[in-house]
Amino acid sequence: MIFRREMKRNLKSLLIWSCILSGLVIMMLSLYPQMAADQQAVKEMMDVYPEPLKKAFGMDKINFGSILGFFAIEVYMMTTLVGSIYAAMLASGILVKEENDKTIEFLLSKPVNRSEIVLHKLGAVIANLLLFNIILTLTSLLGFQFADGAAYSGKVFALLAFATFILHLTIAAVSFLMSAIMRRTRNILSLSLGFVFISYFLNITAGVAEKFAFLKYVSFFKYVDAGDIIVHESIRALFVWIMLIVTVLCISTAFMYYKKKDIAV
Amino acid sequence: MSIVALNQLTKNYKQNRGIMNITFTIEEGEVFGFIGPNGAGKSTTIRTLLNFIYPTGGSATIFGKDVVKHSKEIRRDVGYLPSEVHYYDDMRVIDLLVYSEKFYNKSNKQRLQELAERLDLELTRKIEDLSFGNRKKVGIVQALLHEPKLLILDEPTSSLDPLMQNVFFELIAEERKKGSTIFFSSHILSEVQKMCDRVAIIKDGQLIQVESIEKLTKNNFKTVMLTFDKPTKPNIDLSGIIQQEAQGNHIRLLYSGNIQELLQCLQQLPIQDIRIEEPSLEEVFMHYYEK
Repeated sequence: MIFRREMKRNLKSLLIWSCILSGLVIMMLSLYPQMAADQQAVKEMMDVYPEPLKKAFGMDKINFGSILGFFAIEVYMMTTLVGSIYAAMLASGILVKEENDKTIEFLLSKPVNRSEIVLHKLGAVIANLLLFNIILTLTSLLGFQFADGAAYSGKVFALLAFATFILHLTIAAVSFLMSAIMRRTRNILSLSLGFVFISYFLNITAGVAEKFAFLKYVSFFKYVDAGDIIVHESIRALFVWIMLIVTVLCISTAFMYYKKKDIAV
Repeated sequence: MSIVALNQLTKNYKQNRGIMNITFTIEEGEVFGFIGPNGAGKSTTIRTLLNFIYPTGGSATIFGKDVVKHSKEIRRDVGYLPSEVHYYDDMRVIDLLVYSEKFYNKSNKQRLQELAERLDLELTRKIEDLSFGNRKKVGIVQALLHEPKLLILDEPTSSLDPLMQNVFFELIAEERKKGSTIFFSSHILSEVQKMCDRVAIIKDGQLIQVESIEKLTKNNFKTVMLTFDKPTKPNIDLSGIIQQEAQGNHIRLLYSGNIQELLQCLQQLPIQDIRIEEPSLEEVFMHYYEK
């Protein structure tokens, strides 16, 4: 029941975010043929960029002329960041909204456990993220048609798609925990979006200067760096593990905290 | 077996006062009132019973089951009406009621229609657009729909107009006839007087007394109105007098004690007129509150 209700309630925002982002993906990829046609000009343009800037956005490792390289710079960066914003907004509101709107009094008076409430809402978050990522992946594949048969590694593309999803999932898990702990929605959006942006900013900082390289361990964005994935044709297992562990920890803490929470509206 | 039993139930908040060592029981089929001024701890008690908040001391059972451990089972047979009704703003009345029904795995469309009709509630309207009174009606239908064995109503009549209050009391009376137990809180004493068998009085988080309504109003207390020929100071000396105040030529007493002693005492006073009557619950409670 609660799952169905949450799916219905979040459908509109899922559609809006997917449509806008899909539109951007298609638009970006439709520009690729022109780029590919004029490799020389692209190379010259890239050379003009200062080295730190290229490093910051991981462009130093990526061949901008290949379809996957182009995808990594123009599309992947967008789907990871914008998608994370969507994930944060989706997950941060889902539990605390009931308290803020005082509808939790209705829900808790029904024969339903706290754990069931959390489980259903978590299920809705994951289902929405899955749908969102499936739509993005399909749109990207569709966008690759513009490249007119340019060869690319299916494995690397699959890795990038997986990386996007697991990043969204981790961001959502952190936001979900915040949603379980907070009592009012007033600050939660700034908190969860702040988390996304700081994470993103740290990733860029880690790329720019060697002495900030350690920062890569504290930014989830660095974990799914497109350059590394393309060059090594793999994601570092350590990073995947860290993200999975953070996700599991956040979710189980959310369950435990919510079970014991005093909910007085 | 008692339907509801509180045993030294305590809830401490870090800053705010909660409730302290509340103990009372509600028997099957009873209409039990819970009276106290705003902020006395009525809602805190109710929320602890429904396990919205966890007790910091003592325990409570409903249907003989612990309210913390078996909360879900308990709520299958409980109907709850909060004092302020808040629902999902994207739903229509019918959507909310159907959503509510699904949690109990039983659907009774006929009862839904009937309740809505009696309360004069339009099912197709958006909850967002409803007035407080109409939202309260949605809350009442939602609480009664699954025919619960225990109804917990937190200030049920607030924001209902007098006509709807009557309908509401009829509905409650019908539920009672079917054997439901009713626990309701209020600070409006006349409605408690009208409805309840027994009442618990709470103040500053502490239970002051549990008493049958009959006993509270009939056996213990009298209001005595004395009329003199000139303004008189209210200084009658008798041990049973709880309160006395002068109003022009009148003195008004709240008396609890032996009637013979009262009459003997009054005989010696130069009174012109006397009226002895049952006090309203208000007066009785004012006395409790002031203690």
